[in-house]
Amino acid sequence: MSGYLIGVDVGGTFTDVVGIAPDGGTTLAKAPSTPADQSEGVLAGIARLAEMLGLGTADLLARTGRIVHGTTVATNALLEHRGARVAMLTTEGHRDVIEMREGMKPDRYDLRAAPPAPLVPRARRLPVRERLRDDGRVETALDPDSLAAAVAAARAAGAEAVAVCFLHAWRDPTHERAAAEAVRAAMPDAFVTTSAEVLPQIKEFERFSTTAVNAYVGPLVSRYLDRLGGRLAAAGFAGPLFVILSHGGVAPVAEAARLAAGTALSGPAGGVAAAVAIARSGAARDLVTFDMGGTSTDIALVEGGEAALGRGRAVGGERIALESLDIVTLGAGGGSIGHVGPGGTLQVGPRSAGAVPGPAAYGTGGTEPTVTDANLVLGYLDPARFLGGRRRLDPAAARAALARLGGALGLSAEATAAGMLRVANARMADGIRIATVRRGVDPRGFALLSFGGAAGLHATAVAREIGIGRVLVPLFAAGLSAWGMLHTDLRYELSRSVLDEGTLRDEAALRAPFDALEAEARDRLRGWWSGEVAIRRRADMRYGEQVFEIDVPLDGVDWDSPGLPARVAAAFHARHRALFTYDLPGEAVVLVNARLAAVGRLPARPSRAGRAGGGAAGGGAAPATRPVHLEGTTRAVPLHDFAALPEGAAIAGPAIVESDTTTVLLLPGDMAVMGPDGLLDVAVAGGPG
Amino acid sequence: MTDPTTPDPVTPDPVTLAVLQARFTAIVEEMGEALLRTAYSQILNASRDFSIALCDAGARLVAQADHLPVHVGAMPYAVRAVLDGVGARPRPGDIFLVNDPWHGGSHLPDMTVVVPVFGEDGTLRFWSVVRAHMSDIGGATHGAYNAAATDIWQEGIRVPPIRLGEDGVVREDLLAMLAANTRLPRDFRGDMLAAVGAARLGGKRLGEAFARHGAARVSAAGEAILALSEERARAILATWREGTWRAEARLDDDGRGNDDVTIRAAVTVGGGRVAVDLSESDPQVASFVNSSYANMRSAVAIAFAYLLDPDIPKNDGVFRLLDVTARQGTVAWAAEGAPVTLCTNHSGQEILEAVLLAMANACPERAMAGWGKRFRIAITGRDPRRGRPFVWHLFHARPGGGASPAGDGWPCAGEWGVVGGIKFGSVEMAEARFPLFFERHEIHPGSGGDGTHRGGPGGLATIRVESEGPSVGNTAGDGARHGVTGMAGGAPGAPHRYVLRAPDGTERVLRTKETGIPIPAGAVLDLRAGGGGGWGPPEGRDPAARRRDAEEGFTA
Repeated sequence: MSGYLIGVDVGGTFTDVVGIAPDGGTTLAKAPSTPADQSEGVLAGIARLAEMLGLGTADLLARTGRIVHGTTVATNALLEHRGARVAMLTTEGHRDVIEMREGMKPDRYDLRAAPPAPLVPRARRLPVRERLRDDGRVETALDPDSLAAAVAAARAAGAEAVAVCFLHAWRDPTHERAAAEAVRAAMPDAFVTTSAEVLPQIKEFERFSTTAVNAYVGPLVSRYLDRLGGRLAAAGFAGPLFVILSHGGVAPVAEAARLAAGTALSGPAGGVAAAVAIARSGAARDLVTFDMGGTSTDIALVEGGEAALGRGRAVGGERIALESLDIVTLGAGGGSIGHVGPGGTLQVGPRSAGAVPGPAAYGTGGTEPTVTDANLVLGYLDPARFLGGRRRLDPAAARAALARLGGALGLSAEATAAGMLRVANARMADGIRIATVRRGVDPRGFALLSFGGAAGLHATAVAREIGIGRVLVPLFAAGLSAWGMLHTDLRYELSRSVLDEGTLRDEAALRAPFDALEAEARDRLRGWWSGEVAIRRRADMRYGEQVFEIDVPLDGVDWDSPGLPARVAAAFHARHRALFTYDLPGEAVVLVNARLAAVGRLPARPSRAGRAGGGAAGGGAAPATRPVHLEGTTRAVPLHDFAALPEGAAIAGPAIVESDTTTVLLLPGDMAVMGPDGLLDVAVAGGPG
Repeated sequence: MTDPTTPDPVTPDPVTLAVLQARFTAIVEEMGEALLRTAYSQILNASRDFSIALCDAGARLVAQADHLPVHVGAMPYAVRAVLDGVGARPRPGDIFLVNDPWHGGSHLPDMTVVVPVFGEDGTLRFWSVVRAHMSDIGGATHGAYNAAATDIWQEGIRVPPIRLGEDGVVREDLLAMLAANTRLPRDFRGDMLAAVGAARLGGKRLGEAFARHGAARVSAAGEAILALSEERARAILATWREGTWRAEARLDDDGRGNDDVTIRAAVTVGGGRVAVDLSESDPQVASFVNSSYANMRSAVAIAFAYLLDPDIPKNDGVFRLLDVTARQGTVAWAAEGAPVTLCTNHSGQEILEAVLLAMANACPERAMAGWGKRFRIAITGRDPRRGRPFVWHLFHARPGGGASPAGDGWPCAGEWGVVGGIKFGSVEMAEARFPLFFERHEIHPGSGGDGTHRGGPGGLATIRVESEGPSVGNTAGDGARHGVTGMAGGAPGAPHRYVLRAPDGTERVLRTKETGIPIPAGAVLDLRAGGGGGWGPPEGRDPAARRRDAEEGFTA
């Protein structure tokens, strides 16, 4: 693809737009996000980018080869409970699957919490007489009268979207398809989705819940992407528009709208995609991403250049069982508020000042001390240079807020600020430990990739807490998500349950589901992709009597020669041993779900992310040192301009390395070297102890 | 790294204290994750029937992971039993094990691994504790729940505190001996090693904290956390009314023909403490509903914790405000040798409910209505599709949760001691793996108790048993005669009703403690679980909510 590439990440406060020029030059533009219609902010950001490049918007868009977009429309609809009015057609006798939630309740000790309202209330869960057996045999044929009654009820209820969720439909979608046809005929404007199409897998709660989410967010996501496409076309864009999905790959808008539930993690996916790109560039094979924003911090793992995936995700309390990046979100960020906790301890968060009223230093009404205020009072942040000088910070207001809190604890403002950072950093370190142990890995062998507005001030301290010896900070930290979207691939994820206990004894039976998935994936990709396609296979497998399946990557398994069942079984035994320290070679192995990803590798473009223009100029040469509170004393700490550092420049901590959009704090003993592609590579002193 | 904000070497400042408080919580969570990942058996993985704790050198509970509430506060008794016996002079690398209900255990399936943690100077600082429910523990029937048992020896193998390993190495001979006494030796061995691994991980993580902060300071932080937790609980208690109240809760029966086995609680709130007296409870019975001491203490602790704030630390600082009196030889605290296996469900539930009902008088605005009772059924028979035997345990048709001042109860979220912590399996998967056909699995209309806030409905399952030839069922549970309590004028939840309908149309209502129930092929189990209790007078219910209930079919 020729011309510019544009990545767009819509955040809570700012919309980041990254442009990569044909020569690899990379530019970040920011515009305020527009929550009512995100596409306005997107267009404003593109206009800003064009201006920075000295082009007209139409001119830039005419020269743009592709736009990749991360959207939070689905996420926000789930978090704010303002999705579509959904009706569900479901097997008679089983209408409460999404309300019973498998008997699980989060927050076990809160017995004074009312249950959440289901996405589809019971009165709109409409029973249809039909029933399949687990092997796909028809127990009860689809009854036309009960179907007609259910469709009429959905229509009378004013449903904008209809989810069709029948038991065992993953085995045979015939009944679901017939029901969907009946709905489409009676309700031509409705968004119609079926469980077998969304997630053709056994286990009805995961499948029905994901389908209900798809119906709930589908109409909003479709309308939004239509609107965005319209605006972009009107502004002169004729190329392809892609959306980054929860699994970190991208898909064209039509696919994203069809499987809208798969965009629920579109927002943070860009940062993980960037981490994958950085890992594959050779900087470090194993990374922990540390994406610290205003209200929360996202943590994900990249192992051997691959992002960790999972299927247990809930957004807004709703289960989405589609393949998605395994991102752990902690409720602590720059806006987290410090306060006196139970029994006189200093606590940080979970309450956040957000963008409004914001940290005390913003002077926009916030009076409580936030992590950002603490960083300011300790001298880590330059009040004149925050967000490229667009927001002046008021150190006196920050100090006053911290002094008030300190008064209650018997601590000075500085000691309170230092204490808040210690508490926040310890919490993030604990979050990273839990995120890594859950995947069965030791974080100490990983490098910490720091990005997002606030991460650079905390990364070296958090790394110390955990015993991580290396921190990487891209100069582009503030726009890394949008940049990452331009470094990921087209990806189509398919799965299908198999669940025949004989699958692993029969070569043909084992190949069949994977071959079918591959044919479907290639077929679907054909519409939007003419390049080479890589096929990645995985399977969910278990020993015969076990309850839970484990996810077994089959990338290394030779798929072409005979004897496949033995090789797949061996991959399972090995994976089981790696995860649980033992295997049972004599036991029967059951393959429950076949999974396949078709990946169309988009042309990579080497981009010098480090040489980005960071928006407004920083206001002259930075002073050579700044007084900073470190380890209980105030000292003059050297300042370095991140953007001006030549490759190979070495900086010993303590030091502050800052750009318009990010600030990195190097602690005593740390040694940073400016790497290629604008990556600051920090060797962290010591470790724990 | 020394900490400049902390001048003296032992007392933690407010910041270090917050850091260490978070560290204790993170350690118990990490231990739980480790156990989940390495355990063999379904019961640990699926039901998460395990618990993790850190106790201080004096066996006081400092931190506990939020798994099944049923274990809350019970673990220190196991540590104390170790300290009083074989572990009186622990050495680094020791691994202790206990399950005996008369040595700090709750019931025999719960194996508790206890590992001492020493500071850099060799001083005992903490105990890392892991309790895990084993799939089988020997005894007269498979899977530990033996409704026919008349003494503890029919329930399985008793393990008073023993030194299972030294110098960090498990004694293979002891482990083999224990495993040989269970029907699932491979699961047992795997789960035990997983529990030992998790307990040792806790010790390792504490050691790292010692290296960083100094063991003395970490110990002092534990002490300070207990003091702060106590202070916080006292502040809540200060808002409670003072006085003495009595309440009771009844089990349906003991399964031996004696109905209405009753727990009687007297609760006195005053002077910043809460006294609980269970000594007027009925005498112990001849079946497995008797409670062990640790289980009784746990039920009392949970009742108290539920009425405090949801995020109140579950530690000794809070629980030491309780003065508990009970009489050995009662159903609330059985004498040595009695069967006790069902007690983590029943009578644990009834102890909790009686105590909570009495305590609620002191803080009516905090009190929630009753959560459901457990009614297990296990079926064994022959699977015609696979041509081999099957064993199936019912986890569907869960009972409903109690209503609260905040709103209606949770549907199908389970019992007082579980509160949404056990996942029932997929119907599709159950049909694929067992010769069962679920004609219906939905919410049980009308089962939640009426009230200003309605109790959560239980589940309803209509299951056809398609075995080859007849199957056999065993039940273990309670709540078919007495539903769970309402609160503040709310109505009780409906009791369970399990009916077995034979192909010839004859019906049999199942009792909660039966063994050897014949189930002909093609018979249908019609299982209607009880709902949670209602909260507040029914006439106070918002008419719109009542209309919605009718429209949604939540009321019968």
